[in-house]
Amino acid sequence: MKKLIFIVFIGTFSFLTLSSKETTAFESTYQPGNSGDILIENARILTGTGNEILGGSILISSNKIKAIGKDLNKPVNTQTIDANGKWVTPGIIDIHSHMGVYPAPGLRSSSDGNESTSPVTAHVWAEHSVWTQDPQMPLALKGGITTFHVLPGSANLIGGRGVTLKNIWSRTVQGMKFPGAPYTLKMACGENPKRVYGGRNSEPSTRMGNVAGYRKAWIRAQGYRNKLAEYESKSEEAKELEYAPTRDLELETLVGVLDGEILIQNHCYRGEEMAVMLDIAKEFNYKVTTFHHAVEAYKVADILAENGVCAAMWADWWGFKHEAFDMVWENAAIVDQANGGNGCAIIHSDSSVGIQRLNQEAAKAMAAGNRAGLDIPSSRAIQWITLNPAKALGIAGKVGSLEVGKMADVVIWDGNPFSVYTKTEKVFVDGVLLYDKDNPSTPKATDFELGIINSEGDRL
Amino acid sequence: MNLNKKVFIGLLSLLISSFSLADELLLKNAKIHTATDRGTIEKADILIRDGKIVRIGKNIVSSRAVEKDLSGKVISPGLIAPLTQLGIVEIELIPETRDDRSDIYSAGLSIDSAFNPSSTLIPYNLTGGITVSLTSPSSSGLFSGLTSAFSLSGSLEESLISSNIALSANIGGGEDSMAAKVQLLGDSLTLSAFVELKECLEMHHNKSSLPDGVNYSCRDLLALKKVVDKKIPLVVRANRASVILTLIDFAKTNNINLIINGAEEGWRVSKQLAEAEIPVILQPIDNIPNSFNELGSRLDNASLLHKSGVKILIGSHETHNAYLSRQGAGIAVSYGLPWEEALKGLTKNIAEVFKLDKRGSIQPGYIADIVIWSGDPLEVTSFVEQVYLSGESVPAKNRSMRLKDRYISQ
Repeated sequence: MKKLIFIVFIGTFSFLTLSSKETTAFESTYQPGNSGDILIENARILTGTGNEILGGSILISSNKIKAIGKDLNKPVNTQTIDANGKWVTPGIIDIHSHMGVYPAPGLRSSSDGNESTSPVTAHVWAEHSVWTQDPQMPLALKGGITTFHVLPGSANLIGGRGVTLKNIWSRTVQGMKFPGAPYTLKMACGENPKRVYGGRNSEPSTRMGNVAGYRKAWIRAQGYRNKLAEYESKSEEAKELEYAPTRDLELETLVGVLDGEILIQNHCYRGEEMAVMLDIAKEFNYKVTTFHHAVEAYKVADILAENGVCAAMWADWWGFKHEAFDMVWENAAIVDQANGGNGCAIIHSDSSVGIQRLNQEAAKAMAAGNRAGLDIPSSRAIQWITLNPAKALGIAGKVGSLEVGKMADVVIWDGNPFSVYTKTEKVFVDGVLLYDKDNPSTPKATDFELGIINSEGDRL
Repeated sequence: MNLNKKVFIGLLSLLISSFSLADELLLKNAKIHTATDRGTIEKADILIRDGKIVRIGKNIVSSRAVEKDLSGKVISPGLIAPLTQLGIVEIELIPETRDDRSDIYSAGLSIDSAFNPSSTLIPYNLTGGITVSLTSPSSSGLFSGLTSAFSLSGSLEESLISSNIALSANIGGGEDSMAAKVQLLGDSLTLSAFVELKECLEMHHNKSSLPDGVNYSCRDLLALKKVVDKKIPLVVRANRASVILTLIDFAKTNNINLIINGAEEGWRVSKQLAEAEIPVILQPIDNIPNSFNELGSRLDNASLLHKSGVKILIGSHETHNAYLSRQGAGIAVSYGLPWEEALKGLTKNIAEVFKLDKRGSIQPGYIADIVIWSGDPLEVTSFVEQVYLSGESVPAKNRSMRLKDRYISQ
C-alpha cells in the first residue's frame, strides 16, 4: 500500500535552460575521491556486456576500470581484494526512483515530486526538489545502487525534467549529478493525469484529453523553436537591432527534446497507449527513450523493439490501478527476446524498498522467462539493471558495464546476485569504496540519521 | 470356468478394487519441509487420505494410493497470509471494487459476506503458494474490524474456514494523539465488558462513558467484548518501541491477548515482547523509516526478535502479491533468521496464533494443504508447480498465465 503514495502522485518536474546552449546553471560539481589502485581477483564476473568470466579480475585505477579479464598483472602499490567465491557486477542503476523528491520519512513538507498544479509543467526540474539527506539513499547503496534517475511524478502529462545522480553523500544536488548525463523529460500516460485534473473538472479528464494535451504542448514547442531559429538565422547587424526572444523555461525543455538533447522517459502502462505515444513522437519528430511502468509491454514488445524503445518494468507489481491489471511475470523476458533478442528490457523500482534489491526483482523476472522457455542466462538478465538503464539514460559510454575506460562502479556480492540470500559486500562508486560490510561506518549516514537510534550502528 | 477366465476375472476385480480403493494420494521422494520440530526431511513421502495427512516418512507403501513421484521437488505446507484484503479488494484505487472499509460499523465489521471466492487476486496468490488468507478489513478508524480465515480454493460454498477470529485496531496516523487512541481503546474495551446484547439494545447506555462523537453500535461493542473475554486477540499496528511497550502494558492491564502488527522497532523491546508472550506480524522486506515512529527500522529485526524468543509471523504489505511474504522471509533469513523459523513464520506460527485448527504444518492428522515447489520456497527463482488443497490438486491457472500464453509467441 505504501507504494500507492508514489503511484498516485507521481509527477512534478522542473526545467530551466535548454535549447539555448549557453545555459550553465546547476552544473555537476561531482568529484570522486582518490580510488587508488585496486585489483579484485578470483571473482565470478557478470560483465554487463552479456558475458560471464569465471575466476576473473578487475583492475581499478584512477577511478576507472583499467583492465578486466583473467590473470591480470598486478601493478606495484595495488591493493588486492580476493573475491574467491564472490560474484562481481557493474554498479546497479535504477532508472525510476523518487529518492530525494519523495524522501523518508514520508512527510508532506518534503513530498516534492509532483507539481500537480497544471497538466504541463515542463518548466520544473526534479533536481530542485532533491533532499540530499534522504536516508533511503544509503540503503539503496547497500543494495548495490551506484546510479539512480530521479523523476518527477506522474500527476502531469508532462511533469518536468528528471536528473541522473551518483549515489554518493553530498551536501548539494549538484555534487551528486552524474557528469555529462543528458537531461530527461517525464511524461505520463493514462489514469494519473486524467484522475488528478479530471477530478478538478478540468482538462484532461479522459485519455483522449491526455493526448490532446501532449500534442498542444509539442505544437507550442515547435512554434518556439521556429522563433529561436528565425532569430538565430538573422545577420549580426539585424540581431543588434532587436532583442533575442525571451526565454521560456517550459518551451526550452520541450525544444530540448525536439533537438534530441533531452530524453523522454514516459510513464505508460497500456500497450495501446504506448503505440499512440510512439505516433505522437513521429508526428513531432522526437524519440521516446523508455516507457516506464510498462506493465503491458509484452503486448507490444515487437513494436518497441522495432522503434528502439526500452521498457522499464516491475517484476510482479499489479492491480493497484486498472491499467496495472494485465501483469504477466514474463513481461521483461518477452520484451528482452522480442525481434530475435533485440528488445531492451529494464527492471526499475519506483520504490525505496524495491531499489534495495533490484537484483532480486531481475531474478524473479528472469526465472519467469526461463520457466516459459525463454532461455535467459544471468549474464543477460544483469543487463536489465545495468547496461540497459545506462543506455536509456544516455550514460552507457560511462557506466553500465565493466569495460576498460568506464567509471569503476563495481559491486562485489557474497554469492549469486540472483538469489534472495545474497547481499552486497562491497560497493565502489568511481573506484571509491562507499559500502563495505566489514566497516560499520559505511555507508556514510545522512545528516538526518545522525543521533537517531544509533543509526550508524543499528539500522541496516 | 477355465483357469484363464478365472485369472482374467481375478485380475479384473483386482483392477476394479484398486481403482475404487485409490482414495489415497502418495507424494513420493520429495524434500519435505514440515514446519514442525521434525524440520526438513530429505527424499521422503507423504500419504494423504480424505484430505488429511496420514503419514510422513521414508519408503511409505500403500496399495490404495495414487502415487506421484516428486524426485527433485520440494514440499512445504501451504502458506498462510496474515492480514490481507484478499477476496474483498480488486483494484486498490477504485473504491467501488473495495469492500474492506466501512463508516457504518467499526469493531463489529465482519467481512464474511463480502468475501468473493472468485476474486481475480485469489488465483495469483494460490499459484504463489498461499492456501489460506486471514482477510481483514482496513478501515482507518480506531478499529478496522474483524478478521476471518478463508481458503483460497475459489469455492463459492466452502471458502470460509473460521469467522471473526481477531479484531484489528489502529492507533497511529491521523491528527489525534496516539495517547488518546490508546486511552479510547481501553475505555472502549472496559465499556464493552459490561455489555449484554439485550441490555445494549434496550439502553444504549454506552454513550455516557465515552467522549462526544464516539459511538458504538451494539455489534461493535459485542466484538470488543470478545476481546475482553479473550475469545479473540486484538491486533494493533504499532512500530515505535515506546508504543509497543505501552501496548504490552495495556494488554496486561486489560488482560487481553495482543498481537503486534508491524513492530519495526520491535528489536528494541524484544525481551519485553518475549516475556509477555506477544507475537508479532512482520513485513521483513520493509526497512524504510517511513515515519518518525519507525526510525529504528532494520532488516535483521526478525532475527533479533526470534533470538529473544518472540514468536514471528511473516506477512507482506501487498494484498495483490501477498505471496511475496516468502521473499520477505528469505530476506529475513539472509539477515540471520534461521530458515526453519522463517518457514514457520509463513505457516505454523500463523496457524497457532490465529487458532486455525490442524493447519500450517505437515504432520499426521493435519489438513493436506500442500505446495510443491521447483526449489527452495523462500528463493526468488523458485516457483510453485502444484498446490493441493485438502489433498485435492488445484488447477493452477490465472489471468497472468493466460495473457502470457496469448502473447508470448507473437
